[in-house]
Amino acid sequence: MLKRAIVTVLTLLPALALIPAAGDAQAPIKIGVIEPLSGPVAASGNYVRMGAEIARDWINARGGIGGRRLELVIEDNKSDPKEAASAAEKLIVRDKVPAIMGAWGSSMTLAAMPKLEEYGVPMVVETSSAGSITKRGNPWIFRISPPSDMEALGLESYVDKLGLKKADFLAVNTDWGRGSISAFGDMLKKHGVQVGAAEFMEQSATDMNAQLTKIKAAGGDTLFLTTAVEQITLVLKQGQEQRLQRKIITTGGSSSPTQLIKQAGAAAEGTYHIVFFMPWFPEAMPDGKLAKAFVDEWTKRGHPFEGLTEGFRGHDGIATLAEAVKIAGKDDAAAIRDALWKVNFTALNGPVKFDKDGPAGKESGQSKPSIFVVQIRDGKVALPDFLKK
Amino acid sequence: MSRRLLGAAGALALLTAPAWLASPYHLHVLIMAGIFAILASSLNLLLGYTGQLSLGHAAFFGIGAYASALLTLKSGWSFWLALPCAGIAAALAGWAIGRLALKLRGAYFVLVTISFAGVVSLVSINWMDLTNGPLGLPGVPAPELGPWSFRTKRAFYYLVLAAAGLAYLVCRRLVRSRIGRAFVALRENEALAESVGIDGTRYLVLAAVVSAALAGVAGSLYAHYTRFVSPEVFLFSYTVTMVIMVVAGGQGTLMGPIVGALLFTALPEALREALSWQWQMLAYGVVLIVLVFFLPRGILPTFARWRRSRASAAVTAVPDARPGC
Amino acid sequence: MEQLLQHLVNGLVLGGTYALLGIGLTLIFGLMSVVNFAHGEFYTLGAYAAFAVVAVAGLPFFAALAAAIAAGAVLGAVCERALLRPLRGQSIDTVMLVMIGVWIAMQNTELLVWGGVARSIPHPFPTAPLSLGPLNIAPLRLFVVGAAAALIVSAWLLIQRTRLGTAMRATFQDRDTAALMGVPIGRIHTVTFAFGSALAAAAGALLGPVFLAYPSMGDLASLKAFSVVILGGLGNLAGATVGGLLLGVAEELGAGYISSGYRDAVGFIAIIFMLLFRPAGLFARRERIG
Repeated sequence: MLKRAIVTVLTLLPALALIPAAGDAQAPIKIGVIEPLSGPVAASGNYVRMGAEIARDWINARGGIGGRRLELVIEDNKSDPKEAASAAEKLIVRDKVPAIMGAWGSSMTLAAMPKLEEYGVPMVVETSSAGSITKRGNPWIFRISPPSDMEALGLESYVDKLGLKKADFLAVNTDWGRGSISAFGDMLKKHGVQVGAAEFMEQSATDMNAQLTKIKAAGGDTLFLTTAVEQITLVLKQGQEQRLQRKIITTGGSSSPTQLIKQAGAAAEGTYHIVFFMPWFPEAMPDGKLAKAFVDEWTKRGHPFEGLTEGFRGHDGIATLAEAVKIAGKDDAAAIRDALWKVNFTALNGPVKFDKDGPAGKESGQSKPSIFVVQIRDGKVALPDFLKK
Repeated sequence: MSRRLLGAAGALALLTAPAWLASPYHLHVLIMAGIFAILASSLNLLLGYTGQLSLGHAAFFGIGAYASALLTLKSGWSFWLALPCAGIAAALAGWAIGRLALKLRGAYFVLVTISFAGVVSLVSINWMDLTNGPLGLPGVPAPELGPWSFRTKRAFYYLVLAAAGLAYLVCRRLVRSRIGRAFVALRENEALAESVGIDGTRYLVLAAVVSAALAGVAGSLYAHYTRFVSPEVFLFSYTVTMVIMVVAGGQGTLMGPIVGALLFTALPEALREALSWQWQMLAYGVVLIVLVFFLPRGILPTFARWRRSRASAAVTAVPDARPGC
Repeated sequence: MEQLLQHLVNGLVLGGTYALLGIGLTLIFGLMSVVNFAHGEFYTLGAYAAFAVVAVAGLPFFAALAAAIAAGAVLGAVCERALLRPLRGQSIDTVMLVMIGVWIAMQNTELLVWGGVARSIPHPFPTAPLSLGPLNIAPLRLFVVGAAAALIVSAWLLIQRTRLGTAMRATFQDRDTAALMGVPIGRIHTVTFAFGSALAAAAGALLGPVFLAYPSMGDLASLKAFSVVILGGLGNLAGATVGGLLLGVAEELGAGYISSGYRDAVGFIAIIFMLLFRPAGLFARRERIG
């Protein structure tokens, strides 16, 4: 009898989904957040979430937006585009959020985009790098992270100083990795640098020895590496085992140099990294005081230091949306969208102001993020050697 | 409550769903459930009726999705032409797998299906010229019929409902025919079936082809609903979800996979409502374990058994468990 | 030529661990007919156990291996007693579904406890690689191969030479007769599952320091383990060993000479071809197709 009762309850559990969402009186301002909180990139998704939570708490400590509290409704896209679309739908329809930040990976963002247009809700893209996101003619998309071509432009001024003659590429086999190879490849060719091998690794691959053996044979002087910190660690360690001796530059901003030092040790020595936030010398950031405060708050909460290079994105995304709500004066989706075009302030990464990108009449917004290069020297993160006079 | 009345009530509820459902989000869940119902029914043909476990079923789903997306996006075909072509493309793959693998049985067949899905997945990621690789295919058009567009949820829901109904009828026709009986005979005892002249390989290939075709159709519907196709459609987790739906719903029954699809599409969404993100998937795993524990034969067969035992009719138990691998 | 040798060496190191995973699963899947989708999770468990022992508790590295084996064995025994034994008469698909549930539950528990950040497991070996002529191999990897070999040999000895092993083989060859002869069937099932899971955990503890420990590391491991088991023949230890080594080498050569993107595809295609021409696996005799 008990068995039947339990089973009946279990089978009826999904009916929970039918419960209508509760309404509110003096309602807080809700912003949706879609990140990969489980699955292979759970670490990054969680760092972004932590940064977003700091932004929310700071805003509320200052009295909220227009006197109303800010509330984040956080959803997990499970690193699956289908889930990203479902999460967006739930946030918009059930939680009635007027704006969203997300969805980390480019495929997740692309999958959620039709929902934004369907319901007319703006989304701030904080990490995705695929060029197509802002070129698809979706006027509800506003991106604060750099697409790969912008990143490549950020490195352009240093190409001569680095003395690159022949470069090889090793990238994760996703839109991000491939986009990076093509963007940096084009930029390098314009400067007369020869492009050698272009190898790929599956997102979940742990053994890159085969690729490294081929790269060693290709004989370039520099290796461009685009993937997340875990795979970078493995590549560096395996490269050391194979005695791969050349300059290594990581791109994409997910290299978390602090974590690399901890996990790759001597193998990380001398490597260069393109990052979008420098928690090791926050005073060097465009808004030094803000950056320092963020780093201090992050450390106070006991979050791992290595997460700062990604956590700032969460903060900047929420800060951007909060600015827009302030300018709009109300938490209405269309008003927020219009207000985003008027946003002009300095976040952790630098100035946030959206330019038009994409087909005329349906432009998306793309900001021009700041790009930084650091180097690991003597087991610490420092400004690159080629910058010292 | 007689079966017929229950069935009629269910059908009525489904037909009028957009009217009484509280929000478009619920309609979205129902649409996804419908697509998965077609998928689960297709897998059931192989798993439940012929007794062969295909762990590469997501491959047929993905092939259908990509075929439909590419035909409409790059060749400008109409959805109504692309849909059956998606089914045919998947069916061809099913035929290939059937011919290759169905000389094998049991664990070997399973492994070949897994390998096949793995290869197809890697091709979709690496063959940039055809599939655009990891960047995926955004902007897949919504179906149109003359002046009507199926862009709205409501319209698409009825499309999926019709497709699911059709899939159910196809499966029912097949299962209740001589072919269906051959399937079951092969499942129960292949040697015996062969001895009365049932050609095992021929029927299993047929099951694979029909099964794949249905999965391909489901893939096409998925592509035109989410309007974005990327290599993630080949994720193993999709296959696992289908297997859960079939086995937990009741393999070897017609309605079992559909019940399973409804339940296991709604469950993650219900957990999204009820729990914060850290606990959702853990709860899902636990619910699955508990469900299987209490309903080892699947939901529908167990409910049927309860009704039967309540009616106290003398029933000879028919073994519906598959013999070991 | 030296590229080829380097690839071969790398392939053997990888293959050794595939073999360990395969042996554990061939006992569970081949002998007990349990489609154990959670096998990879015991691999993950082993890696995290090693991390807990070395990085958190600060114990010596070699204790990590022992801890992992113990953790795998205990959790495996608990799983078998609590979940598999009550479902003993049920269909193979029902059991498979339960193990899928265990897979999801274990992986998400790990995510909850350790977080999504990958963990590095410190080890006492020097990082500079040893040079044997044109080949480079890290001391840690040599240790992994050696330890894997030792474990494989121990497993083989246990199955072939001890009374426990004989009881296991008897149970799975003919359960009823074994029961009549006084073999405690229930306990043998528990021991077998625990043993197979312990081997998976050992593989995790060995590979954890080479790579990294993170919650989803077991997914690919499960898949590879199933491939190895079927390649080698269900229930066949020697087959699993050889199959594991072959898979590792095939993957390395494929990634090196054909394309790194299609690395896993090479393994898959090799399997498909193998099964087409030799469906019973590499070792046709001594084989149980259930």
